[in-house]
Amino acid sequence: MNDVYAAVVHDVKNQLAELALRLGERGDAQQEMVIAMNAARRLSEMLLVHRQASDLLGVNVDSVNPADFLEILAAEYRELFPKLSIDASVDRAPGFAFFDDALVRMALANAIHNSCRYAQSRVQLAAYMNDKMLVFEVSDDGPGFSDNVLAEGGMAPSSVSGEGTGLGLYLARKIAELHHLEGRRGHVELNNTKGAVFRMILP
Amino acid sequence: MANISKFSEKWVLVIDDMEGMRAQLRMALTNSGFAKLHVVGSIKDALERMASNRYDVILCDYSLGDSTDGQQFLEYLRTSDLISRNTLFVMITAEQAYEKVVSASECAPDDYLLKPFTAGQFNARLEKLLEKQEYFAAIDKATDAKNWVAVISECDKKLPAKDKYFVELCKIKSSALMRDNRSQQAADLYREIFALRPVGWARLGLARALAMLDKKDEAQALAREILADSPQFMAAYDFLGKLLAASGEKHAALDVLQKAREVSPGTMSRIRELSTLAVSAGKPEIAEAVMRQALQKHKYSPVRQANDYAVLSKALVNQGKAAEALSVVADAQKTFKDEHSSIVLSATASVAHHAAGNHEQAEAALAKAMAVGDMSKLPAQTVVSLADACFAMGKEEEATNLLRHAIQNNQEDESIKDKVHAVLIAAGKDASQATEMIEASTQEVILLNNDGVRKAQAGQLAEAIELLCQAANRLPNNLQILGNAGLVLALDLVRNGSTPDRFDKCLYYRDALIKKSPNHPKIAQIDGQLKQVTQ
Repeated sequence: MNDVYAAVVHDVKNQLAELALRLGERGDAQQEMVIAMNAARRLSEMLLVHRQASDLLGVNVDSVNPADFLEILAAEYRELFPKLSIDASVDRAPGFAFFDDALVRMALANAIHNSCRYAQSRVQLAAYMNDKMLVFEVSDDGPGFSDNVLAEGGMAPSSVSGEGTGLGLYLARKIAELHHLEGRRGHVELNNTKGAVFRMILP
Repeated sequence: MANISKFSEKWVLVIDDMEGMRAQLRMALTNSGFAKLHVVGSIKDALERMASNRYDVILCDYSLGDSTDGQQFLEYLRTSDLISRNTLFVMITAEQAYEKVVSASECAPDDYLLKPFTAGQFNARLEKLLEKQEYFAAIDKATDAKNWVAVISECDKKLPAKDKYFVELCKIKSSALMRDNRSQQAADLYREIFALRPVGWARLGLARALAMLDKKDEAQALAREILADSPQFMAAYDFLGKLLAASGEKHAALDVLQKAREVSPGTMSRIRELSTLAVSAGKPEIAEAVMRQALQKHKYSPVRQANDYAVLSKALVNQGKAAEALSVVADAQKTFKDEHSSIVLSATASVAHHAAGNHEQAEAALAKAMAVGDMSKLPAQTVVSLADACFAMGKEEEATNLLRHAIQNNQEDESIKDKVHAVLIAAGKDASQATEMIEASTQEVILLNNDGVRKAQAGQLAEAIELLCQAANRLPNNLQILGNAGLVLALDLVRNGSTPDRFDKCLYYRDALIKKSPNHPKIAQIDGQLKQVTQ
């Protein structure tokens, strides 16, 4: 993607975002708002992938409170998916952790969005420490990831499938990998227990 | 909702150049329960509002049309002390700009909202931010008062809890330690944070502390390391540029600042640093290009200063373009009409006229600039500009007097000495002459101060008072002299009894000192004496 394309994508993204905000104000177009908002975010991801491919994606690690961070995400998705029960379980979260707030937020937002689309009634967010690594977990009570996604989900941006998880997962992996400390590198794990479980594990 | 009452008392200012966005933010804020709300479309309108209102939250879009952006505006607000540290500044930004926002560690916003965002996200973030605002209230109050000792002790009260703001507290405390000239303690604290995680601001903080501790090579190496890891970290360029310039490596400094400009055009303070440096390094064409572009961009913005036009004019004069310089100055004179700006611009006009061969006009402009009676209240930069103009007109004695005053009135400010040095070199002095003149001026004021102190110790209080008060009136920015004037007056009150007039006179110098430096050690000494008077 060259810079002209990127500029156009950016512009369309902004228009979609504005559309989403206007639909949100109407009150009778909640679902349409969610569609427009999600489309805008997809384009944001695409722009980020473009930056990442051009080696422009820098990571700005600073101290963040994981509990506040997850609670804000939960509040946001409760608004977008009012029929689902979305909880943030933060009792085991550390008081502060170091990661790039904006990038990790974007990666988790995508994972939460996917869970919300497939969940029957419930999406759970959690943050906890495991083996000196910070784990963010998004799980739902839906059918779980398809075998295809489990096998190669997010390894390459070309794996965009009908399920639409390719780009977001690819970006989540890249964002996780940008976080490294003393030889330990961030990564993403997917598995199916009751439903889909997405984990982003950061050093 | 519980938060409605919490939000309804808070004053909010929204700045966005897009009308649609303004309407949406107004709606979102009203729906969330905010009742005290001002919404404006430009920085100019925002400043007007700020002049008469104290805001708890400022929501500002990063992109504000073609002119000054939100980050440059925030830097302007913070460096000019136009908002309290407790005012939450939230930047609204699109994905390309957010890196610029988060990597601006000098003047980072309190939070940023990445577009597109929903009302739910917006509310949840504001709620957390207001909680944080309350937590930091006492610290922010001390920061506003520039009372670094109080900032440090407030942080020390909260640090042992090791709560979610622990790292933020460490950041504030370490920067207060730096401001209080406790570089070693600051370095230790930065190293502690470093051990938790080598975050960018802690690495840069350590580099700053090392530079203050005279470990310039280590500081430079660390700054270069930071930039190799994160080329987007603008504050590191600024620091490295200043460090190199201060050790005389002007061309290397220029390279660093130009590289920074390639990454991001940056704030006015970087443009100023870069163009001033370029002029003094004999590269006026770089100064011209950089300053012209910046002034064009900020054409109608308050972030410009008269001095920016003075630098541009100088860059033009040095390239033999005196006529262009004169038109730059004339342009600036239409905008900047306050006293300080008029002096700077008249002095600048004088230099340009002189270069253009208009001797009469040069004389007239200089006379206008010099017409101000009391030099003591002028900013040092203005005094230095005046001296520059005097040299150009061959008025050596006036020029030297002005420079001596600038040095003596700002005894602790090393950057003034650099500026004086640059003016002397530009006037054709060699480096040893310049250093000698600066050294002599500094010695003179030290001797004057010592003389006053010695007289007081020998019991000649009346003579000491006369000497030190006269000096303090002439050099109101010299804190040592200001403090000693207050102290001898206090001693006199103890020894010879108090009268209301003499008591007030003592308070005058004491309060002037507090205003400039709330933690100055002389204040405690003066107060110790005054206690004996009132008891």
